[in-house]
Amino acid sequence: MNASKFGWLFGIVLVGGLIIIPLVIFLPGSDQAISSDPWENVPLRIPHTDHTDIIQGPFDTGADVTRACLECHEDAAQEVMGTAHWTWESQPYQLEDRDSTVTVGKKNAINNFCIGIQGNWPGCTSCHAGYGWEDANYDFSQEENVDCLVCHDNTGTYVKGYAGQPVEGVDLLEVARSVAEPTRENCGSCHFNGGGGNAVKHGDLDETLYFPPSNVDIHMGEHDFMCTDCHQTENHNITGRSISVSLDNTNQIYCTDCHDEDLHEDDRINSHVDSVACQSCHIPNAATRDATKMYWDWSTAGSDEIEESLHTYLKIKGSFVYEANFTPVYRWYNGEVAERYLLGDQINPENIVSINLPGGNIGDTSARIFPFKVHLAKQPYDTVNNILLQPKTYGEGGFWTEFNWDLALQLGSDITGMDYSGEYGFTETEMYWPTTHMVTSASEALTCDQCHGPEGRMDWEALGYYGDPIDWGGRFQSNSYQP
Amino acid sequence: MGKKHRLNKASWYLLFSGFLSILLSGTILIGQRVASARENNAEKTQASPLHPGFPFLDEDGVNVLVSGKPVSTMNTCGECHDTAFIADHSYHVSVGLNDLSSPGTTVTERPWDVSPGVFGSWNSIEYRYLSPQGDSRIDLTTVDWIRLYGLRHVGGGPAMYGSNGELLSDLPYNPDSLETNTLNPETGVLERWNWKESGVVEMNCFLCHTPNPNNDARAAALQAGAFQWANTATLLGSTIVSPQGDTYHWNPDAFLENQEIDPTVLKIQDPTNQNCGLCHGLIHDDVEDPLVTLGCSPERWSTITTGQIISPQKMADSGMNLANKETLDRSWDVHAERLLNCVDCHYSINNPLYYQESEITKPDHLLFDPRRVEIGDYLEKPLHQFARGNSAQSNLAPELEYTMRTCESCHAVDVTHAWLPYLDSHLEALSCESCHIPQLYSSANMVHDWTVLLPDGSPRKECRGTEGDETTMSTLLVGYQPVLIPSPDKDGVMKLAPHNLITTWFWIYGDPPRPVPLQSLQEAYYENGEYHPGIILRFDQNGDGELTKDEMVIDTKAKEEFIRDRLILQGLSNPRISAEIQPYSVNHDVASADWALDDCTACHGEDSRITQPIMLASAAPGEVLPGFVSGTERTLTGEIAVDKDGAVYYYPGRATENLYVFGHTSLAWLDWIGLGLFVAVLMGVITHGGLRFYFASRREDQEKATERVYMYGSYERLWHWLQTAAIVLLLLTGLVIHRPDPFSFIDFRKTVLVHNIIAGILAVNAFLALFYHLASGEIKQYIPKPKGFFDRTITQAIYYLQGIFKGEHHPYEKTPDKKLNPLQQVTYFGLLNVLLPLQGITGILMWGVQRWPSLANALGGLPFLAPIHTILAWLFATFIVLHVYLTTTGTTAVSSLEAMITGWEELEK
Repeated sequence: MNASKFGWLFGIVLVGGLIIIPLVIFLPGSDQAISSDPWENVPLRIPHTDHTDIIQGPFDTGADVTRACLECHEDAAQEVMGTAHWTWESQPYQLEDRDSTVTVGKKNAINNFCIGIQGNWPGCTSCHAGYGWEDANYDFSQEENVDCLVCHDNTGTYVKGYAGQPVEGVDLLEVARSVAEPTRENCGSCHFNGGGGNAVKHGDLDETLYFPPSNVDIHMGEHDFMCTDCHQTENHNITGRSISVSLDNTNQIYCTDCHDEDLHEDDRINSHVDSVACQSCHIPNAATRDATKMYWDWSTAGSDEIEESLHTYLKIKGSFVYEANFTPVYRWYNGEVAERYLLGDQINPENIVSINLPGGNIGDTSARIFPFKVHLAKQPYDTVNNILLQPKTYGEGGFWTEFNWDLALQLGSDITGMDYSGEYGFTETEMYWPTTHMVTSASEALTCDQCHGPEGRMDWEALGYYGDPIDWGGRFQSNSYQP
Repeated sequence: MGKKHRLNKASWYLLFSGFLSILLSGTILIGQRVASARENNAEKTQASPLHPGFPFLDEDGVNVLVSGKPVSTMNTCGECHDTAFIADHSYHVSVGLNDLSSPGTTVTERPWDVSPGVFGSWNSIEYRYLSPQGDSRIDLTTVDWIRLYGLRHVGGGPAMYGSNGELLSDLPYNPDSLETNTLNPETGVLERWNWKESGVVEMNCFLCHTPNPNNDARAAALQAGAFQWANTATLLGSTIVSPQGDTYHWNPDAFLENQEIDPTVLKIQDPTNQNCGLCHGLIHDDVEDPLVTLGCSPERWSTITTGQIISPQKMADSGMNLANKETLDRSWDVHAERLLNCVDCHYSINNPLYYQESEITKPDHLLFDPRRVEIGDYLEKPLHQFARGNSAQSNLAPELEYTMRTCESCHAVDVTHAWLPYLDSHLEALSCESCHIPQLYSSANMVHDWTVLLPDGSPRKECRGTEGDETTMSTLLVGYQPVLIPSPDKDGVMKLAPHNLITTWFWIYGDPPRPVPLQSLQEAYYENGEYHPGIILRFDQNGDGELTKDEMVIDTKAKEEFIRDRLILQGLSNPRISAEIQPYSVNHDVASADWALDDCTACHGEDSRITQPIMLASAAPGEVLPGFVSGTERTLTGEIAVDKDGAVYYYPGRATENLYVFGHTSLAWLDWIGLGLFVAVLMGVITHGGLRFYFASRREDQEKATERVYMYGSYERLWHWLQTAAIVLLLLTGLVIHRPDPFSFIDFRKTVLVHNIIAGILAVNAFLALFYHLASGEIKQYIPKPKGFFDRTITQAIYYLQGIFKGEHHPYEKTPDKKLNPLQQVTYFGLLNVLLPLQGITGILMWGVQRWPSLANALGGLPFLAPIHTILAWLFATFIVLHVYLTTTGTTAVSSLEAMITGWEELEK
């Protein structure tokens, strides 16, 4: 009797099963398997512990604050000291065209903006995540000189000045009590102002990213990302790499960390991803709002004849050209540097000197077509020894006070150990800045005809194709270039 | 399948390698020519990669630098290319000259049309027409036609030759001939045209084969009657030639030392979209520069007639005042966006790159025939017959219809439409364009009312796709949905395809009728450049002394009479208003998948796109209803009707009669019968049950002795309940498919799929049960015993009508061996042997329309099967009511139900 009492339940399950199971089997699934959700890879923002009551002053110097931090976060300073934010130098790296490994970083590299920090430390190191880097003798082992606040201040009042010390007027106690996860302001205070002012250096990083509209940056505008949502950080090791200073391609961030590679509905578009970086289509123009420096001519510096204006001429720096919302330059790029100019390398002054030529070519299957801002400059070199020279600009005897190139170059060469002949000239150099921030929405992405066809923006033959691949075939098609 | 696919691929390799070698040899050949022709100018030649420099020759074959005469394209290009062959094989050139016939005998059946082409076929938008030879009132002579229509004609053909094939300039003068005279618009009298002085218009190679042809200058030269200079004028704006007084001056600097044109100055190229667009429609190749057109003023032909704009630009990036513009992140034309050119589809039909033998003439054993015209031969004699489809508005060169590749020739429809149930059925009924051009986002012309003339001499026009009257930036472009009209595909199958309909009202006179010439119309309306006072008196509704566009419509008898009298006054006999509708096919502005119509209920619902009417006009002047132009090969059997506000609409309903669209098509009377039956039975059982309850409550029944009997085995119960669940679900999903509108929250596509799968379950269940019943012999329970069957049935019926109320015993005892009473036997016999199989068969056939269309069609197709399926569904629903009610007539109200659940039934002893 018991069996039949609940037999009907069994019956319902059986009949239901006989209906539902065929439905599940035969009903076609939705059109496409749902792509994995990119949000899964975005870190959860855990509310940061309020430090207001934890931190007790008073603090006279930044180092005082660091010592207070280290009382609880014992390993924090050591962690930071292992990163490039502190060392301003890479791990030893073997470049293909060199005999021995090299270490390159802001510490010793040469660029074609302010050229180099050696001898100019106190000005440049205001963006160093540490305190007191004034000269070549800086002690990189002092834990208390690690600047916790520059990344963790949440008041927005913390400002660094000479040699990275907090400027006068900063309420260190107030700032220390506010510490939390790094905000856009923390990263932006240095990275949006690279080159000494807003938008100068990168072309894809500027102060519009503090509060960007959706059409400037889809992630930060539409979806309210913080820098660290992509530049995910563990033990103070912040992910991210750029060939403007880095050599290797480790610790890199990719769009595909969150997004599927073949997420486009159109197969034709998906077939592009083997050869075209996401950035190429999804960042149609660089420096969309704030103009960035495209050309810097040091040779005109020091003149009283030319009228000064922030974006065209400064006596201490020379002449500039700024540009906004421009079409990037497209190059093959495998994430590494093909050639990196290091101090002392011979140049051919007849040619434009490439300071950081992107690695990769059409034959390199790991390379993709990538957008760059290319910064051209005319900067000093030794006309006898044919080497680029790094002048002393900042401080006593520096060009910015004396306007004497010979003296500045002599002082600079003394510090960098270059052999300065006393004869100098100016030669053209170029630097590649990957355009990777300010990703726009899908609806703003480039369409076919913006790259292909008579109006297209690509120089296909320069990239190594026989011709426009829409007609001549892509590099994996049998009628075209075979890598 | 896989094998076939591989073969296809192989044949493509063959095609490409074959073509490459042709191209290579052709290039070398031409390269040699270039090299030999231009040894001392090697550097300059490189700028123009393929086409060499060449001398500009005049009509006598003399270099124009020497003679200073107009360039003769036939002689100049004819040096290498067979220009005579080209001009002879081009409907762009002949435009009807070769098909002249007596008036009224063309496919359009217009009494004044003399050819199927632009030269001789009336276009109601332009209004002016080539007068048939012999007409007493002349509208256009050949000369006038060239001056007016020449700007959209490439030259040659009727601009060069008379109807007898003789050069126009060689024709002997005849005072009555419409080929040697021009009409003086002042006097209305024919005057002799000096062909020798004007020269003729040769086929204009520059117009289509140079990057920036000056079509305005060409049109101006034609308008001025300087025919021989028209092709030269096309080069104005370059450094080659400049105007000098009434003639032109050739600039020697543009030529090389050997008096050949500098190839860097004049680039000869394949026609670009811009070239085609000069005559055919609005082209905008620039992605960055915002495209602007105002209100209803698109400039060019296909854009006027349909609203099609060929541009890769995203609509949101255009400079136009489009409704919901910010959401329109699609390009105007996906093919333009993806860098296809007009000539990629509309190619020269002997172009060895594109030529493919048609399926009809191709031998079955070949997939690809590599033998084709050598590229050198092609370059000498390229057919200027361009591959075409079959648009409603185009009657010229019917022999070339469907030479174009169709959507399916390039697109793997099966692969991309796997989500669509009944794909073949959809493809059978719909052109690709129906879903992929669901909307035109710009405006198009709707009405040309030539019964009236506006102050500026133009007709009253109406536009579709705009909001706001004036042609300004503030006119909101809302676009329009084209009407779906059955049109033949290349196999002759009528499929729905999107069209715009343009309606024209106009005055005709005489017999055989002719449109009232524009000059006569102007005389009727104007006097000394102003409206005639009688016009103002009758048309000025607000009495302000001014006539606006809104007032200029013939909506009263008085107005019509007045104009008619004014026309009669000019000697026109029997002037009356006529009207015609010209359908224009919409094949461009294709949307990618994201913007295509993929919402099932857009068609499968009450307000279906399939039968969606389209407005023809806001008013019918003179209350004349328009009819369709003949010869369009479209099924135009819908209805034209006037709504209560006087607006005229086309309802394509009748044209789609042979379609049965689930969710849209339903026979209302059938549903009413079904519903009536259902409700009647429902009311019946409620009444019966009420009476039973009433009598039972007044009667004191003594406790009946009962016993428990094992009535239904477990399989029988499973079968029953599975069938119950399946039928109920089928009825519910069927209802959603049949009438989707109230269930818009339910996904139509999934409902169809669920319905089919459950039908499958029901069928399997039914077959297993049949097997069980046959094998176990239980089947005999369902088979009524013939002997005394009627008596027993009547007894049972009388019991239900009388005895049951009195609490009498059932006349026939229910036992496990005899579960069904005679009435049930006959019902179930009908249900299981007639209704269920019939419903199953019609259902399978409807499902099979996709798979075995011929079988379903042989049995009447969906229009026949679907209504049967519907009425049977109503019968099933009705049966369920009756069946459920009858289960309450057992020992107790629920004893039968319990028995079907547990197997054990309480039965009276």
